[in-house]
Amino acid sequence: MSNLEDDLRIALRREEPAADFTERVLARLNQPFAEPTWRERLAVLMRPPRLQWAALAVIVSITIPAATVRYRNEVQYRAEGERAKAQLLFAVRVAGSKLHRAQRKVLETGRTGTRL
Amino acid sequence: MKILGILALFALVGTAGYGQALDLKGLEKLAAKARDVTDVELDGSLLRLAAKFLSADDPDQAKVKKLVAELKGVYVKTYEFEHEGEYSESDLASIRTQLHSPAWSRIVGIQSKKERDNTEIYLRTGGTEPGGLAIVCTNPKELVVVNIVGKIDLEELSELHDLGVPKIDIEKKPAKPADKKDND
Repeated sequence: MSNLEDDLRIALRREEPAADFTERVLARLNQPFAEPTWRERLAVLMRPPRLQWAALAVIVSITIPAATVRYRNEVQYRAEGERAKAQLLFAVRVAGSKLHRAQRKVLETGRTGTRL
Repeated sequence: MKILGILALFALVGTAGYGQALDLKGLEKLAAKARDVTDVELDGSLLRLAAKFLSADDPDQAKVKKLVAELKGVYVKTYEFEHEGEYSESDLASIRTQLHSPAWSRIVGIQSKKERDNTEIYLRTGGTEPGGLAIVCTNPKELVVVNIVGKIDLEELSELHDLGVPKIDIEKKPAKPADKKDND
Protein backbone atom coordinates (compact mmCIF):
# COMPACT_ATOMS: atom_id res chain seq x y z
CA MET A 1 0.00 0.00 0.00
CA SER A 2 1.33 3.37 -0.88
CA ASN A 3 2.14 6.13 1.53
CA LEU A 4 -0.57 8.25 0.00
CA GLU A 5 -3.27 5.78 0.94
CA ASP A 6 -1.93 5.61 4.46
CA ASP A 7 -1.91 9.36 4.71
CA LEU A 8 -5.48 9.54 3.46
CA ARG A 9 -6.64 6.87 5.82
CA ILE A 10 -5.08 8.71 8.75
CA ALA A 11 -6.49 12.01 7.61
CA LEU A 12 -10.02 10.68 7.11
CA ARG A 13 -10.21 8.42 10.10
CA ARG A 14 -13.18 8.88 12.38
CA GLU A 15 -12.48 10.95 15.44
CA GLU A 16 -14.90 11.29 18.26
CA PRO A 17 -15.64 14.86 19.41
CA ALA A 18 -14.66 15.98 22.84
CA ALA A 19 -17.04 15.05 25.59
CA ASP A 20 -18.21 18.64 26.13
CA PHE A 21 -18.61 19.48 22.41
CA THR A 22 -22.42 19.25 22.41
CA GLU A 23 -22.73 21.38 25.55
CA ARG A 24 -20.43 24.03 24.11
CA VAL A 25 -22.38 24.21 20.85
CA LEU A 26 -25.71 24.45 22.68
CA ALA A 27 -24.29 27.07 25.01
CA ARG A 28 -23.23 29.21 22.07
CA LEU A 29 -26.63 28.83 20.46
CA ASN A 30 -28.41 29.92 23.60
CA GLN A 31 -26.36 33.10 23.94
CA PRO A 32 -28.44 36.22 23.14
CA PHE A 33 -27.61 37.76 19.75
CA ALA A 34 -26.05 41.18 20.28
CA GLU A 35 -26.87 43.85 17.65
CA PRO A 36 -23.66 45.41 16.42
CA THR A 37 -23.29 48.99 17.51
CA TRP A 38 -22.93 51.79 14.98
CA ARG A 39 -19.26 51.96 15.87
CA GLU A 40 -18.85 48.30 15.03
CA ARG A 41 -20.71 48.78 11.78
CA LEU A 42 -18.63 51.82 10.93
CA ALA A 43 -15.49 49.93 11.81
CA VAL A 44 -16.56 47.16 9.46
CA LEU A 45 -17.09 49.67 6.70
CA MET A 46 -13.84 51.49 7.39
CA ARG A 47 -11.73 48.37 7.52
CA PRO A 48 -9.35 48.76 4.59
CA PRO A 49 -9.23 47.51 1.95
CA ARG A 50 -12.91 47.03 1.38
CA LEU A 51 -15.01 46.24 -1.63
CA GLN A 52 -17.49 48.82 -0.43
CA TRP A 53 -14.92 51.57 -0.82
CA ALA A 54 -14.07 50.43 -4.30
CA ALA A 55 -17.75 50.30 -5.21
CA LEU A 56 -18.32 53.72 -3.67
CA ALA A 57 -15.42 55.17 -5.62
CA VAL A 58 -16.80 53.72 -8.84
CA ILE A 59 -20.29 55.04 -8.11
CA VAL A 60 -19.00 58.51 -7.23
CA SER A 61 -16.71 58.67 -10.23
CA ILE A 62 -19.64 57.84 -12.51
CA THR A 63 -22.51 59.69 -10.87
CA ILE A 64 -20.83 63.04 -10.18
CA PRO A 65 -19.63 63.63 -13.77
CA ALA A 66 -22.93 62.29 -15.10
CA ALA A 67 -24.91 64.57 -12.80
CA THR A 68 -22.70 67.53 -13.76
CA VAL A 69 -23.20 66.88 -17.48
CA ARG A 70 -26.93 66.43 -16.95
CA TYR A 71 -27.14 69.66 -14.95
CA ARG A 72 -25.22 71.59 -17.62
CA ASN A 73 -27.45 70.15 -20.34
CA GLU A 74 -30.53 71.09 -18.35
CA VAL A 75 -29.26 74.66 -17.85
CA GLN A 76 -28.43 74.94 -21.56
CA TYR A 77 -31.81 73.46 -22.54
CA ARG A 78 -33.65 75.93 -20.33
CA ALA A 79 -31.59 78.85 -21.67
CA GLU A 80 -32.28 77.83 -25.28
CA GLY A 81 -35.96 77.35 -24.49
CA GLU A 82 -36.31 80.73 -22.83
CA ARG A 83 -34.43 82.38 -25.71
CA ALA A 84 -36.66 80.65 -28.28
CA LYS A 85 -39.75 81.68 -26.30
CA ALA A 86 -38.61 85.32 -26.18
CA GLN A 87 -37.89 85.25 -29.92
CA LEU A 88 -41.26 83.71 -30.65
CA LEU A 89 -43.14 86.30 -28.60
CA PHE A 90 -41.11 89.05 -30.24
CA ALA A 91 -41.92 87.64 -33.70
CA VAL A 92 -45.63 87.49 -32.87
CA ARG A 93 -45.50 91.09 -31.63
CA VAL A 94 -43.74 92.27 -34.80
CA ALA A 95 -46.21 90.38 -37.00
CA GLY A 96 -49.06 91.72 -34.88
CA SER A 97 -47.92 95.30 -35.10
CA LYS A 98 -47.54 95.06 -38.88
CA LEU A 99 -50.95 93.44 -39.27
CA HIS A 100 -52.34 96.13 -37.02
CA ARG A 101 -50.82 98.82 -39.17
CA ALA A 102 -52.20 97.17 -42.31
CA GLN A 103 -55.63 96.86 -40.78
CA ARG A 104 -55.58 100.50 -39.70
CA LYS A 105 -54.66 101.56 -43.22
CA VAL A 106 -57.37 99.37 -44.72
CA LEU A 107 -59.95 100.84 -42.34
CA GLU A 108 -58.76 104.39 -43.08
CA THR A 109 -59.03 103.68 -46.79
CA GLY A 110 -62.50 102.27 -46.28
CA ARG A 111 -63.61 105.37 -44.40
CA THR A 112 -62.36 107.72 -47.08
CA GLY A 113 -63.99 105.56 -49.73
CA THR A 114 -60.78 104.98 -51.62
CA ARG A 115 -60.42 101.60 -53.24
CA LEU A 116 -57.16 99.73 -52.82
CA MET B 1 -64.10 95.42 -45.12
CA LYS B 2 -63.76 93.79 -48.49
CA ILE B 3 -60.11 93.17 -47.75
CA LEU B 4 -61.01 91.60 -44.45
CA GLY B 5 -63.43 89.33 -46.24
CA ILE B 6 -60.67 88.28 -48.63
CA LEU B 7 -58.38 87.82 -45.63
CA ALA B 8 -60.99 85.62 -44.03
CA LEU B 9 -61.43 83.60 -47.20
CA PHE B 10 -57.73 82.98 -47.43
CA ALA B 11 -57.63 82.19 -43.74
CA LEU B 12 -60.02 79.36 -44.40
CA VAL B 13 -58.26 78.26 -47.55
CA GLY B 14 -54.82 78.63 -46.03
CA THR B 15 -55.35 76.43 -43.03
CA ALA B 16 -54.46 73.25 -44.83
CA GLY B 17 -50.99 71.78 -45.13
CA TYR B 18 -47.60 73.31 -44.58
CA GLY B 19 -45.43 75.69 -46.52
CA GLN B 20 -41.81 76.32 -47.17
CA ALA B 21 -39.80 79.15 -45.70
CA LEU B 22 -38.85 82.10 -47.84
CA ASP B 23 -35.17 82.42 -48.58
CA LEU B 24 -34.27 85.64 -46.75
CA LYS B 25 -30.51 85.33 -47.14
CA GLY B 26 -30.53 88.13 -49.72
CA LEU B 27 -31.23 90.61 -46.92
CA GLU B 28 -28.28 89.67 -44.77
CA LYS B 29 -25.92 92.04 -46.54
CA LEU B 30 -28.00 94.93 -45.19
CA ALA B 31 -26.91 94.13 -41.65
CA ALA B 32 -23.62 95.96 -42.21
CA LYS B 33 -25.43 99.20 -43.10
CA ALA B 34 -28.25 99.02 -40.56
CA ARG B 35 -28.25 100.75 -37.20
CA ASP B 36 -30.36 98.06 -35.58
CA VAL B 37 -30.86 94.54 -36.82
CA THR B 38 -33.22 91.94 -35.45
CA ASP B 39 -33.03 88.44 -36.76
CA VAL B 40 -35.38 85.74 -35.53
CA GLU B 41 -35.06 82.29 -37.02
CA LEU B 42 -37.21 79.66 -35.38
CA ASP B 43 -37.45 76.42 -37.26
CA GLY B 44 -39.81 73.61 -36.33
CA SER B 45 -37.66 72.16 -33.56
CA LEU B 46 -37.01 75.56 -31.97
CA LEU B 47 -40.72 76.38 -32.17
CA ARG B 48 -41.55 73.17 -30.35
CA LEU B 49 -38.90 74.01 -27.77
CA ALA B 50 -40.28 77.54 -27.35
CA ALA B 51 -43.80 76.16 -27.02
CA LYS B 52 -42.69 74.01 -24.08
CA PHE B 53 -41.62 77.16 -22.23
CA LEU B 54 -44.82 79.08 -22.90
CA SER B 55 -46.92 79.32 -19.80
CA ALA B 56 -50.33 77.71 -19.89
CA ASP B 57 -51.40 80.08 -17.10
CA ASP B 58 -50.81 83.20 -19.20
CA PRO B 59 -53.80 83.51 -21.57
CA ASP B 60 -51.76 85.08 -24.39
CA GLN B 61 -48.93 82.59 -24.11
CA ALA B 62 -51.46 79.77 -24.08
CA LYS B 63 -52.94 81.14 -27.31
CA VAL B 64 -49.47 81.44 -28.87
CA LYS B 65 -48.81 77.85 -27.86
CA LYS B 66 -51.96 76.75 -29.64
CA LEU B 67 -51.09 78.87 -32.67
CA VAL B 68 -47.56 77.51 -33.10
CA ALA B 69 -48.57 73.89 -32.75
CA GLU B 70 -49.11 73.65 -36.50
CA LEU B 71 -46.27 75.97 -37.55
CA LYS B 72 -43.05 74.85 -39.19
CA GLY B 73 -41.09 78.04 -38.81
CA VAL B 74 -41.17 81.71 -37.87
CA TYR B 75 -38.66 84.08 -39.41
CA VAL B 76 -38.40 87.80 -38.78
CA LYS B 77 -35.83 90.21 -40.09
CA THR B 78 -35.93 93.88 -39.21
CA TYR B 79 -33.43 96.50 -40.30
CA GLU B 80 -33.48 100.06 -39.04
CA PHE B 81 -31.25 102.53 -40.80
CA GLU B 82 -29.76 105.80 -39.69
CA HIS B 83 -30.38 107.55 -42.97
CA GLU B 84 -32.74 107.20 -45.88
CA GLY B 85 -31.59 105.43 -49.00
CA GLU B 86 -29.35 102.92 -47.26
CA TYR B 87 -31.25 100.10 -48.90
CA SER B 88 -32.95 99.91 -52.22
CA GLU B 89 -35.80 98.04 -53.80
CA SER B 90 -33.25 95.77 -55.49
CA ASP B 91 -32.34 94.40 -52.06
CA LEU B 92 -35.87 93.04 -51.85
CA ALA B 93 -35.86 91.65 -55.37
CA SER B 94 -35.13 88.05 -54.40
CA ILE B 95 -37.95 88.06 -51.86
CA ARG B 96 -40.41 89.64 -54.26
CA THR B 97 -39.49 87.05 -56.88
CA GLN B 98 -40.39 84.29 -54.44
CA LEU B 99 -43.61 86.02 -53.40
CA HIS B 100 -44.67 86.53 -57.01
CA SER B 101 -44.71 82.79 -57.59
CA PRO B 102 -48.16 81.20 -58.02
CA ALA B 103 -47.87 79.64 -54.57
CA TRP B 104 -48.27 83.06 -52.95
CA SER B 105 -51.17 85.46 -53.12
CA ARG B 106 -50.95 89.08 -52.10
CA ILE B 107 -53.99 89.80 -50.01
CA VAL B 108 -53.11 93.30 -48.81
CA GLY B 109 -50.94 95.93 -50.42
CA ILE B 110 -50.85 99.42 -48.94
CA GLN B 111 -48.75 102.28 -50.16
CA SER B 112 -48.83 105.39 -48.03
CA LYS B 113 -47.37 108.40 -49.74
CA LYS B 114 -47.94 110.51 -46.66
CA GLU B 115 -46.04 108.22 -44.31
CA ARG B 116 -43.90 106.92 -47.16
CA ASP B 117 -44.29 103.34 -46.19
CA ASN B 118 -45.52 100.19 -47.87
CA THR B 119 -47.14 97.19 -46.28
CA GLU B 120 -47.80 94.00 -48.15
CA ILE B 121 -49.31 90.81 -46.78
CA TYR B 122 -49.10 87.54 -48.66
CA LEU B 123 -50.66 84.17 -47.98
CA ARG B 124 -49.26 80.95 -49.31
CA THR B 125 -52.24 79.28 -50.84
CA GLY B 126 -50.90 77.25 -53.71
CA GLY B 127 -48.05 74.94 -54.56
CA THR B 128 -47.54 71.47 -53.31
CA GLU B 129 -47.30 72.60 -49.72
CA PRO B 130 -49.76 75.41 -49.07
CA GLY B 131 -49.81 77.37 -45.84
CA GLY B 132 -47.92 80.37 -44.59
CA LEU B 133 -47.93 84.11 -44.19
CA ALA B 134 -45.47 86.75 -45.30
CA ILE B 135 -45.44 90.40 -44.34
CA VAL B 136 -43.16 92.90 -46.03
CA CYS B 137 -43.08 96.42 -44.60
CA THR B 138 -40.81 99.09 -45.93
CA ASN B 139 -40.26 102.73 -45.24
CA PRO B 140 -37.24 104.89 -46.04
CA LYS B 141 -35.49 104.02 -42.79
CA GLU B 142 -36.89 100.62 -41.98
CA LEU B 143 -37.36 97.23 -43.55
CA VAL B 144 -39.32 94.42 -41.93
CA VAL B 145 -39.93 90.97 -43.33
CA VAL B 146 -41.97 88.38 -41.44
CA ASN B 147 -42.44 84.86 -42.69
CA ILE B 148 -44.62 82.41 -40.82
CA VAL B 149 -44.43 78.91 -42.27
CA GLY B 150 -47.10 76.30 -41.80
CA LYS B 151 -50.77 76.10 -41.14
CA ILE B 152 -51.74 79.46 -39.72
CA ASP B 153 -55.18 80.25 -38.46
CA LEU B 154 -55.73 84.00 -38.68
CA GLU B 155 -58.64 83.71 -36.30
CA GLU B 156 -56.31 82.31 -33.65
CA LEU B 157 -53.72 84.93 -34.55
CA SER B 158 -56.25 87.72 -34.13
CA GLU B 159 -57.00 86.51 -30.61
CA LEU B 160 -53.56 87.73 -29.50
CA HIS B 161 -54.71 91.29 -28.80
CA ASP B 162 -52.29 91.89 -25.95
CA LEU B 163 -49.38 90.95 -28.19
CA GLY B 164 -50.34 93.65 -30.66
CA VAL B 165 -52.29 91.50 -33.10
CA PRO B 166 -55.43 93.27 -34.26
CA LYS B 167 -58.85 91.76 -34.00
CA ILE B 168 -59.74 90.57 -37.48
CA ASP B 169 -63.35 90.08 -38.40
CA ILE B 170 -63.31 86.72 -40.05
CA GLU B 171 -66.34 85.76 -42.01
CA LYS B 172 -66.69 82.03 -41.84
CA LYS B 173 -68.24 80.16 -44.70
CA PRO B 174 -71.47 78.44 -43.75
CA ALA B 175 -71.02 74.74 -43.21
CA LYS B 176 -71.99 72.59 -46.14
CA PRO B 177 -75.17 70.62 -45.57
CA ALA B 178 -74.55 66.93 -45.15
CA ASP B 179 -74.77 64.95 -48.37
CA LYS B 180 -77.98 63.09 -48.64
CA LYS B 181 -77.36 59.44 -49.12
CA ASP B 182 -80.95 58.47 -49.42
CA ASN B 183 -82.47 59.62 -52.63
CA ASP B 184 -85.90 58.26 -52.00
